[in-house]
Amino acid sequence: MIIMARTKGYPEALEKKLRDQRYYREDSNPDFTKNVKAISRTIPHMCYQCGTCTGSCPSAPRSSYRIRHFMRRAVLGLENEALTDPDLWLCTTCYSCSDRCPRDIIPTDVIMAMRNLAFKRDIVPVNFLKTVQAIYSSGHGVPNNDVNRAAREKLGLTRDPPTTHMYPEYIKGIQKILDHYKLKANADRIVKEREG
Amino acid sequence: MAEKKKATTKKTESKKEDTKKVAPVKQEVKKQAAAPAAKPKAAAASAAAPAKATVGSTTKQGDARIGVFICHCGTNIAGSMDIEAVQAYAKTLPNVAYVDNYKYMCSMPGQSVINKAVKENKLTGVVVAACSPRLHEPTFRTATKESGLNPFRFEMANIREQNSWVHMHDREGSTDKAKDAVRIAVAKAALLQDLFPKSVPVEKAAMVVGAGVAGMQAALDLAAAGIKTYLIESDMSIGGRMSQLDKTFPTLDCSQCILTPKMVDVGRSDKIELMTWSEVHEVEGYIGNFDVTIRKKARGVMTPKEAEAKGIVGGGCNGCGDCEAVCPVVKPNEFEIGMKPRKAIYINHPQVVPLIYTIDFNSCVKCGLCVTACGPEKRAIDLEMKDEFVKVKVGTAILATGYDIFPIEKKEEWGYKRFENVITSLEFERLICASGPTGGHLVRPSDGQTPKRVAFVLCAGSRDNTGTGKPYCSRFCCMYSLKHAHQIIEKIPGCVPYIFYMDIRSFGKMYEEFYYRIQDEGAKFIRGRVANILEDPKTKNLHVMTDDTLLNRPVDMEVDMVVLAAAIQPKEDTNRTRKLFGVSCSMDGWLLEAHPKLNPCGTTTAGVFLAGVCQGPKDIPDTVASAEGAASAASIPIHMGEVELEPYFASCIEEKCAGCGMCVNLCPYSALSLVEKDGRTVMQVTEAKCKGCGTCGGFCPGGAIWMNHFATPQIVAQIDAFLLGGEQ
Ligand SMILES: Cc1cc2nc3c(=O)[nH]c(=O)nc-3n(C[C@H](O)[C@H](O)[C@H](O)COP(=O)(O)OP(=O)(O)OC[C@H]3O[C@@H](n4cnc5c(N)ncnc54)[C@H](O)[C@@H]3O)c2cc1C
Ligand code: SF4
Ligand code: SF4
Ligand code: SF4
Ligand code: SF4
Repeated sequence: MIIMARTKGYPEALEKKLRDQRYYREDSNPDFTKNVKAISRTIPHMCYQCGTCTGSCPSAPRSSYRIRHFMRRAVLGLENEALTDPDLWLCTTCYSCSDRCPRDIIPTDVIMAMRNLAFKRDIVPVNFLKTVQAIYSSGHGVPNNDVNRAAREKLGLTRDPPTTHMYPEYIKGIQKILDHYKLKANADRIVKEREG
Repeated sequence: MAEKKKATTKKTESKKEDTKKVAPVKQEVKKQAAAPAAKPKAAAASAAAPAKATVGSTTKQGDARIGVFICHCGTNIAGSMDIEAVQAYAKTLPNVAYVDNYKYMCSMPGQSVINKAVKENKLTGVVVAACSPRLHEPTFRTATKESGLNPFRFEMANIREQNSWVHMHDREGSTDKAKDAVRIAVAKAALLQDLFPKSVPVEKAAMVVGAGVAGMQAALDLAAAGIKTYLIESDMSIGGRMSQLDKTFPTLDCSQCILTPKMVDVGRSDKIELMTWSEVHEVEGYIGNFDVTIRKKARGVMTPKEAEAKGIVGGGCNGCGDCEAVCPVVKPNEFEIGMKPRKAIYINHPQVVPLIYTIDFNSCVKCGLCVTACGPEKRAIDLEMKDEFVKVKVGTAILATGYDIFPIEKKEEWGYKRFENVITSLEFERLICASGPTGGHLVRPSDGQTPKRVAFVLCAGSRDNTGTGKPYCSRFCCMYSLKHAHQIIEKIPGCVPYIFYMDIRSFGKMYEEFYYRIQDEGAKFIRGRVANILEDPKTKNLHVMTDDTLLNRPVDMEVDMVVLAAAIQPKEDTNRTRKLFGVSCSMDGWLLEAHPKLNPCGTTTAGVFLAGVCQGPKDIPDTVASAEGAASAASIPIHMGEVELEPYFASCIEEKCAGCGMCVNLCPYSALSLVEKDGRTVMQVTEAKCKGCGTCGGFCPGGAIWMNHFATPQIVAQIDAFLLGGEQ
């Protein structure tokens, strides 16, 4: 209430900034730490916040994504904060952080675990879902296009790579896998909800 | 030796003998009073079954009468089990004549409970159910002795470390387990014999291995206490790592200025026999009487003393260096970490003690030029010199073998050995030191330019659980990096040190104040562990990549030079040396102290002590303190003049011995031999050499070897007591 009064008339962003951010709010969840640990099969609770991961991360200097920040949230069980942060989706899965973490943690897998948990709550950016749809229809997240085809020809390669592009009969197998996990159905559903 | 001591302390438990079965032993034992080797005959064959006498029958004169004393250890034990139940159970055990419990058995009142009970109940043996014998066996042995019994009539049942602490949440289970432990201890206690420790004289000399500041300090202290000390150093000079340093934190006094006087004192002391370019080759014996063989590596150059012994009067090396000037072979000087050349005949640096040249025979081409240069008077050089072996006898020994720098090129992300301007802090010490390769000018190896921006990478390879680094904190790198920051601020106007750190561990006296001072002088602190370092191939400048964790911002900082505060690890060859002395090491290779808090200088080998960094990372103040501690501990047995050996040796039951001699080769301590006695061949034990390991006793096909205090009937009684449970 006091904050409301103080921030009256200010933009929402500032209000959010001034919100009481003490750690153990009702949305901090010790089970989150456990779940992330179980899914990632690494040891996020051992992070000592040295910063080697962020220092290694090619995404960090180009975005607001801070892998170390997510490691901290894993340690403290800050589930909502981690899963609702759009930065969660900015890891390129290059594994540089995992190569260098002195505590022998695999931060990349921690991010993957959080993404899994987020997906369970339908928190996932539309572009990721569109990738699912692309894989479903073509077997590729980034299907071939004419520019690439020309480039491949120039390099003396076949116009299409020896994948589902060359052997479309195998797309069925990929679809079977995606259907088994209801990935496509969920992706379609969420995209529809968001885009109407 | 270490293992042996552990094994014995673990098993020690008290018993009493059951007269019916052990009477013959008892008689023997009386005879042994003077020569303690027990040679029980009948006992070995009989007492295989646990004592069957009831409590009632033990009240008969001459029967074993065991007292059981159960300790609460505050709530350490009592909190996890039902002491009353254990006590009630103990009362039902055969031979038990008295049972009691007390809050702290080891306390004075606790010990008087034992004393009183032994006297009033005419007990013949004592069982204390409490903590580990490692902790309080000596305490209760003394209590047993003070109550009038032989101290070896005591047996301990461990119901704390191996019970209440590990079964804290299983009250019923731990109570049952305590009953088992008490029953087993009582079974052995009923068969225990009187034993009489032997005293052996202690040689009035000590040995110190490694002559860094730790070894030098220990040797000086021992010498000051009047003890002849052999100081063994594998390098050509004493001084160790400290002689490579420029200044020392936190007082910034020059390392050489405070070390050289000590080096001179060591060289001068008539109590210290300094042996450089030497290493320990073999160790035999035990506390008070170590026979150590030292290998004096062929140095190619004679000291004046050695020359005189060969009849060359007034000869030997006087350190003139004429040889060095003519030697055609050029090699990198290891003392300067390869940043300066040396010849095949060389000294590390001008202040070496002793000032005697040394030939590196791996690179010498035996041209003989040095021999000519040295001349016919001194005739110091002998190109055909061979390793020599010298035997000395010492009472105690101190290991002070120090450390090496972790090969930090293994952490590839920091580019050491790939990028010219990435150096280690030890190289930094040499470069900033006035007597170093650049005369004290810090320059970039790539172009000789003076750097203006220098990055210090802390925890380089320390606090690292990847398997490529070291999991521990190397303990002095924070502080010396602060010192390095100060040195460049002082020496290079306008040069800025950037310290990349996770934590600044400035824990010592005046250390936090030093941190304050360096920050005030202008050092920049960036809290982030360095992720990787890239080199600009043109300028050879370096990009230091990290996360400024306090700003939550990735950092790419261009600097002229990077100094890696590399982790340290035990000196190579430590492992071989420690094994010679029977000293253990912890998982990370540092030598293992007897107790991390209460006995940090001792080891599990009686008479062998640790000083300095070989036990774990230490700065100079802590190194010197530990050296003085070790010297004091090592001088105690020497000043006592004699030490007691535990009477756990093997003895031969001659009637049973077939003289096959198979045990002789099995003994790891060469304590056994075959002798002629009454016209037949039997085995004989040299008691002082026997460590009571039991190898022979367990092996002898004829059961002719009696292990004192761990005799077959005693052990069998324990096993039976366990297997047969409470039902006798
Ligand atoms: C870059 C750097 C800077 C430092 N700066 C400071 C500082 O400013 N202040 C401070 O307090 N501390 C400083 N230290 C720490 C300091 O170097 C150590 O505390 C100290 O040198 C430890 O002495 P030591 O005798 O235990 O080991 P060492 O100095 O390593 O000596 C061990 C000796 O034993 C010999 N040896 C090894 N093995 C054998 C063997 N098997 N047989 C015979 N001889 C053997 C070695 O040749 C060596 O002479 C610094 C360390 C480094 C790396
Ligand atoms: S590198 Fe490892 S220990 Fe360091 S902050 Fe990242 S996850 Fe934590
Ligand atoms: S794996 Fe992801 S978090 Fe790790 S360094 Fe690469 S992009 Fe960054
Ligand atoms: S004999 Fe060996 S040490 Fe002497 S000058 Fe020749 S190379 Fe050098
Ligand atoms: S002393 Fe400092 S720099 Fe060295 S390992 Fe420990 S924390 Fe890291």
